Amino acid sequence: MIRRLPLSLTFAIASLAAALPVQTEAQTSPSVAAKQTPVAAKTAAAKKTATATSAPAVAPATITVNGITDIDPTKTSGQKSAPLIMEVFTDFQCPACKQLFTTTLQKVTENYANTGKVYIVHRDFPLQQHAYSRVAADYARAAAHIGKGEAVEMVLFQNQEKWEANGDIKGTLSSVLNPAEMKKVDALVESKTLEPLVEKDRQLGITAAVNQTPTSVIHTKNGQVFPVVGFVSYENFKSFLDQLLAQ
Amino acid sequence: MLQSSPFNFRRIVIWLGRLVLAGFFIYAGYAKLFRPDLTPRVPPKMALTLFAMQIDSYQMISGNVSKWIAHTLPLAEIAIGLLLLVGWQLRVWATVITAIVAGFFFVVVRAYALGLQINCGCFAKPEPLTLGTVFRDGALLVLAVLMTVFVYQEARRSHPWSTASGASR
Repeated sequence: MIRRLPLSLTFAIASLAAALPVQTEAQTSPSVAAKQTPVAAKTAAAKKTATATSAPAVAPATITVNGITDIDPTKTSGQKSAPLIMEVFTDFQCPACKQLFTTTLQKVTENYANTGKVYIVHRDFPLQQHAYSRVAADYARAAAHIGKGEAVEMVLFQNQEKWEANGDIKGTLSSVLNPAEMKKVDALVESKTLEPLVEKDRQLGITAAVNQTPTSVIHTKNGQVFPVVGFVSYENFKSFLDQLLAQ
Repeated sequence: MLQSSPFNFRRIVIWLGRLVLAGFFIYAGYAKLFRPDLTPRVPPKMALTLFAMQIDSYQMISGNVSKWIAHTLPLAEIAIGLLLLVGWQLRVWATVITAIVAGFFFVVVRAYALGLQINCGCFAKPEPLTLGTVFRDGALLVLAVLMTVFVYQEARRSHPWSTASGASR
């Protein structure tokens, strides 16, 4: 009896030890992580940042709205349920695109996209004769995927003359992206995961007979399609959109 | 003989100019007003707004001015084309049409020189502005100028079929 008790105790302790789960890093809950030492927490945070910085393996999915295919949701303004859809094909080095984006499109976004009347789809259409258009489109697309698309598009258009002279696109973006954001954008551009989206936009433009930039293609719910080429003043854009909405 | 013939060179140019320019102007006005290239058709008001947007693309004038031009030019083109065809006050309308064609030529040359990648807007339908457009408008301008000069020259002469002095020559 005296000999048996230590043996059974030993067996019970051994069984209990084997049944205990081994806690891995992946299973660590946030509350547990919060209780970690400062060094361990820093290491975990650094690992998380590294995971976020690395680009996704495949290109993000596109959506289809009212028959308009291959829409990158990060490059849109407004609501998908809007009665009008406007695809805007632009090239970051085209002066008329700059004028359209910095004047008319800002007001259209404010008064028509943000009020649910027009769903704006920004399409990249880098022209071959422009040396840095494609690179600028890649950076703008990457910025859109980290939620900074609008700011980056604006700074690229506003400083068009500067960066097209020396190709310093990253330098231009540094005014609107902090170092962490710049690192994420760089990683996305270098991984080339978003390139198919830019190329798809260009191909869609070619299919839609776009050969000039900017070209705005306005689609109505009843299937009417109106391509509008070149810069358009807000006054006339407004009149046209109002007439389409009143139909 | 050539002077008294109703078909001398000047009169042939005048008739050619009247027919060609009137045809161009009437069709251009009609196309801008009714957009026969669009399916389904759009009301004239919308067609004129689309034309105003095409004028905008030349980046020469403000939106409100382009809207005003878009609402007046197509009707003016049809009216002047018809007047040229009818031949009433020919010197006046030949001069007016030449001034308008010269204006078109200037804006087309300017847009081409600036490298603007836009549609011409000449007949409302999407038609890229190319060197061909410049040559076409240039040819129309030459025709309009010749027609107008010859109209003034012919006006100084009496028509061989309408006056006694003409018949006696």
